[in-house]
Amino acid sequence: MDIEIFPYRIISADTTEKLLNGIESLDDVRRTVIHGPRLPPDDPDLDPKYKDKREITVKGKPIELKIRVGRIFVDLTSESAIKEVEKICDEVLPFGYDINTSRSEYIRKHKTVSDAIKYGVEDNNLPDELIGMTDQTRQLAENLDYIDYDEVE
Amino acid sequence: MAQYYPGTSKVSKNRIHFADPDQELEKLREISDEDIVKILGHRAPGEEYKSVHPPLDEMDEPEDIVREIVTPIDGAKAGDRVRYIQFADSMYFAPAQPYVRARSYMNRYRGIDTGTLSGRQVIEVRERDLEKLSKELLETEFFDPARTGIRGKSVHGHSLRLDEDGIMFDMLRRQLMNKETGHVEMVKDQIGIPLDEPIDLGEPLDEEKLKDITTIYRVDGDAYKDDKDAVEVLHKIHVTRSQGGYCPE
Repeated sequence: MDIEIFPYRIISADTTEKLLNGIESLDDVRRTVIHGPRLPPDDPDLDPKYKDKREITVKGKPIELKIRVGRIFVDLTSESAIKEVEKICDEVLPFGYDINTSRSEYIRKHKTVSDAIKYGVEDNNLPDELIGMTDQTRQLAENLDYIDYDEVE
Repeated sequence: MAQYYPGTSKVSKNRIHFADPDQELEKLREISDEDIVKILGHRAPGEEYKSVHPPLDEMDEPEDIVREIVTPIDGAKAGDRVRYIQFADSMYFAPAQPYVRARSYMNRYRGIDTGTLSGRQVIEVRERDLEKLSKELLETEFFDPARTGIRGKSVHGHSLRLDEDGIMFDMLRRQLMNKETGHVEMVKDQIGIPLDEPIDLGEPLDEEKLKDITTIYRVDGDAYKDDKDAVEVLHKIHVTRSQGGYCPE
């Protein structure tokens, strides 16, 4: 099942890092999508003290954070994991949040015509676990990060 | 006695506080005259005011009783251009909001033209008067560095969720939080042209203070429906306006 975490504020890179590390540490989490407005391209003239854009580390893997996180969609294998997600959110999001479960899916699970055109229908087919993981208009590799749990300590 | 706003809640009292020109606004921060000129971006600091007509004293004006009664403001006397400052107020407990601004501007300042839009309020006045009133607007309770944006253009953001540090969304990123000092600094002027040096706007007001001085009714603050007097007056206006509009003979 999918849930949507909706923080009452747009969260910073530091909080995103903490939240993602917390969520990814749960066994019942299959996939996570972060969603929000894009951060502006790196401006070399801007003083570092104002900068938001930075690389975050999730489970030891460096990930370039390209957006300001406004929503987090999480694919869970069991409903009981929501309580654990709530516990993490209480700790990391002191300004408040909602966990929405009303939709049957927040991460798209069926293939679309665009998927077929982009990734092919047979040989180069898109694996099921990657459906809905990225923006239709962008390259998959640009927006998707794998965490290999065999290597995570 | 003038009645500025109905109601008994704290929000309605705050609305009266802004709209009543006899009530003095609390000064919360200090911004120099030169910084105000830089934020406005209409002229370089130290530059002469450009004029659109000769000073009124040198002009041959037609005989007119109104011209004799009304004392011109300084900018009009000197023939300055009409310039503007525009604010966007977040709906998350910003101190002021567009309609309150309009009422207050009309009551407090002479020789101005102001326009209300959904998320922003522009005020137009002769340049040297604009600088004086901008200083007042920026230094007093009208302004909070995080929840109020000085935005000549690209004003979008008043209804969006705030950033984690409390700053309102701004597409052009004019007001930014300095992580080292905790102060909000203006790195671009009001229309988004980068400034040579950032201007310190001071520390954002804390949540309690904002809830104390806000003029916005919200269910998680003071709800409008709980302010019986204000609702009654609104209802009365609505009914009389509808009946008057139907023009019953």
